[in-house]
Amino acid sequence: MELFRLQVLICAGGACISSGSKSIFQVMEEELRNRNLTDEVKLIQTGCVGSCDIGPVMIVYPEGIFYQKLKPEDVPLIVEEHFIKGRPVKSLLYKEKSTQKEVEKYRDIDFFSRQVKVVLRNSGIIDPEKIEEYIARDGYQALAKVLTEMKPEDVIESIKISGLRGRGGGGFPTGIKWEFARKSPGDIKYVVCNADEGDPGAFMDRSVLEGDPHSVIEAMTIAGYTIGAKQGYIYVRAEYPLAIERLSHAIKQAREYGLLGDNILGTDFSFNLDIRVGAGAFVCGEETALLHSIEGKRGMPRPRPPYPAVQGLFDKPTLINNVETYANIPPIILNGGEWYAKWGTENSKGTKVFALAGAINNTGLIEVPMGISLGEIVYDIGGGIPKGKELKAIQAGGPSGGCIPKEYLSTPVDYDSIKKLGAIVGSGGLIVLDEDTCMVDLARFFMDFIVEESCGKCTPCRVGTRKMLQILNKITRGEGTLEDLDLLIKLGEQISKTALCGLGQTAANPVLSTIRYFREEYEKHILEKRCEAGVCSSLYISPCQNACPLEIDVPSYVALIGEGRFKDALSVIRERTPLPGICGRVCHHPCQSKCRRGQTDEPVAIKWLKRFAADWEIKNQPYTHIPVPVKDRIEKVAIIGSGPAGLTAAYDLALEGFKVTVFEAMPKPGGMLKWGIPDYRLPSEILDYEIRYIEKMGVEIKCNTKVGKDIAFEEIKKEYDAIFIAVGAQKSIKLNVPGENLEGVIHGVDFLRKVNGGEEVAIGNSVAVIGGGNAAIDSARTALRLGAKEVTVVYRRLKEQMPADKEEIRQAEKEGVKFIFLAAPVKILGKNKVEAIECVKMELGPFDKSGRKKPVPIEGSNFVIPVDTVIPALSQKTDLDFVPEDEFKISKWGTFEVDRLTLYTGVDGIFAGGDAVTGPSTVTGSMRHGHIAAKYIKKYLDGEEVRFEYEPFHKTEIPVPEPSDEEIIEQPQRVMPTLPVSQRLGRDFAEVELGYSVELAMAEAQRCLRCDRTE
Amino acid sequence: MEKVTITIDGQKVEVPAGTRVLDAAAIAGIKIPTLCAYSALDYYPGACRVCIVQVEGMRGLQASCALPVRDGMVISTRSKEVIEARKTVIELLLSSGVHDCNTCPRNNNCELQTLAEMYNIRTNPYGNALVNKREKGKDDAGPALVRDYDRCILCGRCVQTCAVVQTVNAIDFADRGYKAHISAAGFPNIVDSYCINCGQCILACPVGALYEKEDVDNVIDAINDPEKIVVVQTAPATRISLGEELDMPYGSIVTGKMVAALRRLGFKYVFDTDFSADLTIIEEGHELIHRIQNGGTLPMITSCSPGWIRFCETFYPDLLDHLSTCKSPQQMMGAVIKAYWAKKVGIDPSKIVSVSIMPCTAKKYECQRPEMRSSGYQDVDYVLTTRELGRWIRQAGIDFSKLPEEHYDDPLGESSGAGVIFGATGGVMEAALRTVYEVILNKPLPKIEFESVRGEQGVREAVIDLDGKEVKVAIAHGLGNARKLLDKIRAGECDYTFIEIMTCPGGCLGGGGQPIPTNTEIRAKRTEAIYRADEGLPIRKSHENPSIKKIYEDYFEKPLSEKSHHLLHTHYTPRPVIVPNDN
Repeated sequence: MELFRLQVLICAGGACISSGSKSIFQVMEEELRNRNLTDEVKLIQTGCVGSCDIGPVMIVYPEGIFYQKLKPEDVPLIVEEHFIKGRPVKSLLYKEKSTQKEVEKYRDIDFFSRQVKVVLRNSGIIDPEKIEEYIARDGYQALAKVLTEMKPEDVIESIKISGLRGRGGGGFPTGIKWEFARKSPGDIKYVVCNADEGDPGAFMDRSVLEGDPHSVIEAMTIAGYTIGAKQGYIYVRAEYPLAIERLSHAIKQAREYGLLGDNILGTDFSFNLDIRVGAGAFVCGEETALLHSIEGKRGMPRPRPPYPAVQGLFDKPTLINNVETYANIPPIILNGGEWYAKWGTENSKGTKVFALAGAINNTGLIEVPMGISLGEIVYDIGGGIPKGKELKAIQAGGPSGGCIPKEYLSTPVDYDSIKKLGAIVGSGGLIVLDEDTCMVDLARFFMDFIVEESCGKCTPCRVGTRKMLQILNKITRGEGTLEDLDLLIKLGEQISKTALCGLGQTAANPVLSTIRYFREEYEKHILEKRCEAGVCSSLYISPCQNACPLEIDVPSYVALIGEGRFKDALSVIRERTPLPGICGRVCHHPCQSKCRRGQTDEPVAIKWLKRFAADWEIKNQPYTHIPVPVKDRIEKVAIIGSGPAGLTAAYDLALEGFKVTVFEAMPKPGGMLKWGIPDYRLPSEILDYEIRYIEKMGVEIKCNTKVGKDIAFEEIKKEYDAIFIAVGAQKSIKLNVPGENLEGVIHGVDFLRKVNGGEEVAIGNSVAVIGGGNAAIDSARTALRLGAKEVTVVYRRLKEQMPADKEEIRQAEKEGVKFIFLAAPVKILGKNKVEAIECVKMELGPFDKSGRKKPVPIEGSNFVIPVDTVIPALSQKTDLDFVPEDEFKISKWGTFEVDRLTLYTGVDGIFAGGDAVTGPSTVTGSMRHGHIAAKYIKKYLDGEEVRFEYEPFHKTEIPVPEPSDEEIIEQPQRVMPTLPVSQRLGRDFAEVELGYSVELAMAEAQRCLRCDRTE
Repeated sequence: MEKVTITIDGQKVEVPAGTRVLDAAAIAGIKIPTLCAYSALDYYPGACRVCIVQVEGMRGLQASCALPVRDGMVISTRSKEVIEARKTVIELLLSSGVHDCNTCPRNNNCELQTLAEMYNIRTNPYGNALVNKREKGKDDAGPALVRDYDRCILCGRCVQTCAVVQTVNAIDFADRGYKAHISAAGFPNIVDSYCINCGQCILACPVGALYEKEDVDNVIDAINDPEKIVVVQTAPATRISLGEELDMPYGSIVTGKMVAALRRLGFKYVFDTDFSADLTIIEEGHELIHRIQNGGTLPMITSCSPGWIRFCETFYPDLLDHLSTCKSPQQMMGAVIKAYWAKKVGIDPSKIVSVSIMPCTAKKYECQRPEMRSSGYQDVDYVLTTRELGRWIRQAGIDFSKLPEEHYDDPLGESSGAGVIFGATGGVMEAALRTVYEVILNKPLPKIEFESVRGEQGVREAVIDLDGKEVKVAIAHGLGNARKLLDKIRAGECDYTFIEIMTCPGGCLGGGGQPIPTNTEIRAKRTEAIYRADEGLPIRKSHENPSIKKIYEDYFEKPLSEKSHHLLHTHYTPRPVIVPNDN
């Protein structure tokens, strides 16, 4: 054998070929020739390496240097620098997705290092067109062993011990299947390979056929010997031309080498193999339909029993397995069943190939030991979810499978566990779904596929699936009813029970599993006609408007700002909120993450444009156009709490003409807006202006009036015709560690309340803030402004998992806040005063219900940070002392239980909303509650039944400019001018974000793509 | 045979191993509904899912028609789960197309309708068939058959019948999923395909997706037209089956009542196709004798069955010389009416509207063949099936059971028993033999009945002793059976002299225009009635029919004369198979 200094493997899998690996190969060949390196460097085209999203890829041995996303023009550089000078080209190396750090070696890349390759043992390593390379890696040794040393029963026993189960989806024990086929009486038998892989996104079979075709040929020959068959057929879909080409070539080579045909390896065993090309009907993956198709009949399934092992191809006993199953056989024979059984779980042994697709950083093909958790696949191998989006669910098993929500990431991947969750391992397709996936639409997608692919033979599948699709279409158009949902479940269950073949019996799975886990999402489509993922486009005018909890007509006001009609823009905003200046500063702006412009460059700065409009009014035309109630109502409404929920409800009710009184315990109104958010984020003047605006409409706000103390709840009940409880959640949750009572410990909400209220708060030099939410970041930045020298935020998880607004974290870092991640306090040290805080390091353990890895303490890793102030800012809950016990339904989290859609408590005339219902939530979420409460309080006072009623979205009546037809030029968001850090840290709490100028605002607004206009 | 014991609905039953659960249940006295299973063809596709049952230890529900019993199997055929599932399947079928029973040709005689009634389907959550728009429409471009795609439930019984009974394969499944339908095997319409118009698919259809092209209204219009003289002929096999359409027992002979009814419906003259059957025997018998004596192409094959003619033209065009050149009795009668009879009674043949009542759908096609205009007009204008006539009689409010027995109009109403037995497989053979024997040997038959050519077997052979000279004959009914004989002829492996081929199983009495249901038991009763009718007639040999004798004296002069060649014989056209473009 020739010796080479370097071996260069270029992936020639389907994905890499389509991204241009053939031309890389050609250029490399040429370059090596030109440089006279052909004797030193061996160039090999391999099958699929698996990392399909970063192709074309190349691996250079002996070191295993891994190059990604190659272009032909990169080749000379690699040859010059790496092959000649021995310096790998850094810029072309693999980069870790989250950190963008280069990783030199193939084996150090997480995506590869966690995999175990049995099926894919040769893929990406050998040249699939050279039988010698297969043989050099123990190829055909298993066949030789079987033919010379093993009886058929030994082969079966070995497979039985391995625990291998059918990888095509059914999961039937392979050894038992082989035994059935062997024992089935008959002179003529057949071995069939199912390579009719048809699940959308699954391509493991193709990859094996393209990357290692001999492994299947060898296994099928072993199977022929074992069951007593002389003829085999490989049924491949015509859509896999490369697989067919390489397989045909491999069969020819095997014949030439005496490994196929008459008297194999000189024994008296003869076996032949032919390819049958299928036209690509999905149903032909069903074994009886596949056999019919090989026979030349229409590919329709027939009832089983009889099973193919008894009566299969041409009515003869037939062994049928899929590609992946066969590819496992040679190593099992060579290494023994026990070797294979060392991987996996009790009933699912060995490894499994999965095709990773969807919203995941590393898409491609992976092979992992059975029993690995779903979370490890998604995060450790798959590299997590791109663009910082949130994982929603994993669709496993394709059109026959189901969706597993993120709560179950710790589930081991094996046949039984996955099935228990309503999905299946299937052939191994895993589609990762993020927050932008609508589960109803997803179910509709799969049902649409099934309706097209059903063979049409049996009634339930032919007619039933179409009816299901019709219902799903209705729901995604917002025309569904709750009865439809029940019918969908009933029909799905009936189809599963009554359909003829596997296709039909599993056809309803995607629908049933999404209803099982995401019923609320279905109900939102049906009742509220809302698709929160922003997919079902007939339900909204634009994705931003759809994402907004207040459903503000965003495209209209953005367009008006773009034209300089700022007052009109503000009027559009006020149609949905009385607090535009607040929203424009502290909203968590879900609108922007759905902005279509974000797909081109960056989303439109919707939040900042809203703030601009609000500020413009304050500056130029304060307190103008205050709306007048349509009529006078005599009914009196009490609102308890003047936070975002209470204020919004007050505005809406005042607009209807009701007499509204807001009770506020604190000396000033605003709730968390006033007492929780520091002035540098939300200046008091803005808050005061917007509250004053509401007061001008006749709303009376009674401050310093704590219900239960200054006025009895019973008295309000007597005095008022309806009540809206919107008291928020202000009670801090304790750390529950020793030392929490020491001087120098102040809880986040208390700390912020005091500072915001102008109280003098003594702050030490070094401060530890515990927590990862906005309250923690606000506390840290506030502490800095009060003069703390060093502020450290301690958080038990990783930075990317912090719930706080990303922009706030960035600004905190800029201002000098330090962060310690993966740590949690265990003790606060000190005699009377805080002297230090003792923490323990955490590591990320198994996935918890939130879909995140649960932090677990590392024993003995304790460390001490010397601090003089500790601010725990974990979370808050509602103070329920003011309401009579037992009168209201209270949840186990200490919140009011109300009807989700009307906020009615069930107690006559009393509604509740905001954080008091949801727990600590978003400002705009609370405002939404304010609207809902006002709407149903009016209904209640009108004497109508308090029952949810859908109200279609009304587009503003203000004439809105037409979109311009100018070409779109890529340009990023206009930068928000901010106060220099040097000027921020004074005690004046000057606002950090300075706001857009007229020019900036108009330019930014003009970036809107006006996707609200469909024509 | 090995027996196994199973439990069905709590009842222990011993049945032969391998029995289908459906049949095992029947043994236990439990009827399981089916729509796609077709025992006549051993067809159990498990497609409709109406026959589902619950089997302990098996996942989901099982199609009892396809599932073989296993020892110890515990089956429930009527649990709540099973009934619910069956209801869902029925509801889905009802919602899958236009199942508006009021306008369906199979109203009151539909297997799906019966199930809907049995299973208390009162509302349908999957959509009311009445409000469904017609999605696929009808294929009614042909002369004889109509396929209503919107009523089709995709059971596949027609496909199986076409493929197995007739080996024509004119139809097959096409497309997938909800778009799946029965297509004309690659052709746009059934009329363009190899369909032979036999109508056996209609008999197989459980619903109203297949039916004959209806002509009753055209006939009524003609009757109401004062300018027209409407005459009618009735085929042999209609007299023993029409009663079924009118609530009479299977095998009732209703010849006289049928004649009476036709008169009441407004036909001016009622003739009997049996007369022209006798005429056929004279012509065909002499043709056979001629071929035997002059070295003509043998075996000679009968040509009365238009489906068979079309089949031969398509699949065995090389054997067309074997076909007798005789027209079918219907077409002979048609020609005789407009050429001979019209002149005789002095009616302008252009004013005659000639109608025939036939057990056959292919006759609708046959009468439109361009060859069938030897009178100078279309010899037969309209063909009504037995079913159409039955429906018309009911529509007219005629109390059939109370009708008197009336006689056909002479001279074209007089016939022999030989004419009657044309309606059964082997009948033409037997009728021909009765005549040929006596003509060749010029002596009376010792025994009129040729039992050896009768029977149900698909292919039958007999050796006829013509006074020491043995003549081998064969009979086939159902074109799948015919193929066996035809392939032998092609291979030069047969020494038959004469072969009778009938398109439909049982002969014309099992024709595609006969009452539904038509099955083995019912065909047996009709066969028995045919032979009974024969026995009851005073004249049983065609050549002894006085009116036949007269027509030769008056008009044709002799068999195979020039006139008879002009009016009573025809020719055939090869229509070989062209594989349709399969893009």
